[in-house]
Amino acid sequence: MSARIFAIARNTLTELTRQRVFYVLLIFAIALIGSSVFLARFSFQQEFQILKDVSLGAMSIFTSLLAIVATARLISQDIEDRTVYTILAKPVPRWEYLLGKLLGVLLLLAISIAVMTLLFLFIFQAREQTVLNETSRQFSAAPHEQLQAALDAVRATALRHDVFLAVAVIFLKACLLASLTLFVSTFATTNIFTIVVMVAVYFIGHLESTAREYWLTQQSASWLAKSFLAIVALLFPDLQAFNLVDDTVAGVVIPLALFAKTALLGFFYILIYTLAATFVFYGKEL
Amino acid sequence: MSDLPRRGGAEAVAVENLTKVFPISFSRKSIVAVRDLNLNVGAGEVYGLLGPNGSGKSTTLKIILGLVSPTRGATKIFGRDSSLVKSRESVGFLPENPYFYKFLTGQETLRFFGKLCRLNGSALKNRVEQLLEVVGLTNARHQRLSTYSKGMLQRIGLAQALINEPKLVVLDEPTAGVDPAGSRDIRNIIVDLKQRGVTVLLSSHLLGQVQEICDRVGILSKGALVREGRLDELIAIENRNELVLENASESLLKEIEKLAASSNAKLIEQRRSTTTLERLFLEETSDRSEK
Repeated sequence: MSARIFAIARNTLTELTRQRVFYVLLIFAIALIGSSVFLARFSFQQEFQILKDVSLGAMSIFTSLLAIVATARLISQDIEDRTVYTILAKPVPRWEYLLGKLLGVLLLLAISIAVMTLLFLFIFQAREQTVLNETSRQFSAAPHEQLQAALDAVRATALRHDVFLAVAVIFLKACLLASLTLFVSTFATTNIFTIVVMVAVYFIGHLESTAREYWLTQQSASWLAKSFLAIVALLFPDLQAFNLVDDTVAGVVIPLALFAKTALLGFFYILIYTLAATFVFYGKEL
Repeated sequence: MSDLPRRGGAEAVAVENLTKVFPISFSRKSIVAVRDLNLNVGAGEVYGLLGPNGSGKSTTLKIILGLVSPTRGATKIFGRDSSLVKSRESVGFLPENPYFYKFLTGQETLRFFGKLCRLNGSALKNRVEQLLEVVGLTNARHQRLSTYSKGMLQRIGLAQALINEPKLVVLDEPTAGVDPAGSRDIRNIIVDLKQRGVTVLLSSHLLGQVQEICDRVGILSKGALVREGRLDELIAIENRNELVLENASESLLKEIEKLAASSNAKLIEQRRSTTTLERLFLEETSDRSEK
């Protein structure tokens, strides 16, 4: 990696971690994951399900929000403060500047998701151990096979390794949103515009697959509706495709092929948006 | 300077038939910021680009640095087209009213810009130390830029412009908003650069300072170059001379006046020499430390 890209990425990471918004969002997400321990406890199956649902959901929303908010201001702030002049007046190609900025945000997202995953795993392991201990106590008088069956039932509903695939896809979705935000910010005139556009993209991106399925299965789906949906799919990433959390929560094993397909789709979107951002930024008058 | 590419002569900066038109959004109108500008800055020269606000100075500098693309014409730095990233390898730039990253300290700022110029290790460390010393910010090195005064920001800005030991330094209003002492420090640094053979291209509307340090000046008005030349030639009044005397008696002055009249010369003005207000200000506040 170019030393200049790394210097810009590191500087961007420093900039983002020295802002309060990052800590506010992180504390909020951690509090949400932590508080899920105290939610309803009718059975250990329900408890584990809620714990997974709330924690992975919090991770998904937090990283998406962070990706949008952190990226939206990077370019416009540099232009407003004229720091972009001093950077680009050095022998720094514009694509290196953009890539450095994006990598800085991705590093921040990686750190955030790592912190939240560790906390989630810690809480989950602790709860699982407690439930296993309780089950052992309850079945202490029962035959060994019965105890073993009860413990296996607990373990079966606990975390499997594919939870890391779900987390990886959450990270990928956040990276995609960061690269799209970077693209929007290269032609936006204010941060607010970028954030409003991205929030709209976020909602449309999550709803479009449902709308598409509904409309396209209708007999009356006209060519107009089909064309409209095709354009929407091109302009807005299908974010629901990056939702493997529901499967994990429901206890369905995530097939590796599905993960690979989703990852490939994510990389494709990121590449396209980064290239588009570079193209617009090269033509920009500073 | 022998290691510099000199395709097309010894010009550090060459501007040829430069025109820049900014279209106005949602309108058919446009603004002509720079009009058919031709300009050459020789290697080792200190060139002052003068003009009122909105005359096209900053736009010209930005085009030279490749930050803005020209509508017509071309600009070159040491023979290399400004649109090439390589043209900026030995250039330092201080924009007007720079802010930089407020969350970084002075030292971190210089390290960051040094890394952008591929400096690292002990070379970077030594250069940062040296520049902090040159701009008088060694004691403020660990302070975040958000706590810096206007003058300190301008000095750290100058330091980052010099981090890669550039052969050309471009300064956009380097002393705007800086107090007289800070202004003098910046002027001294520019003079030092000139003595070391570095080319300096600066824009300003503070004419007194330009007069003190520039070899040549160009005056821009409404995007066009209306006057250009060596400073001493531009401002000299051909048929006038000045005589400064010390301890001259009243009778001697009368004698000189008579002598002048007898040889068809005319004494236009006779007044007591004064110091400049700037010099007086600097003498009275010379014990100030960094603020």
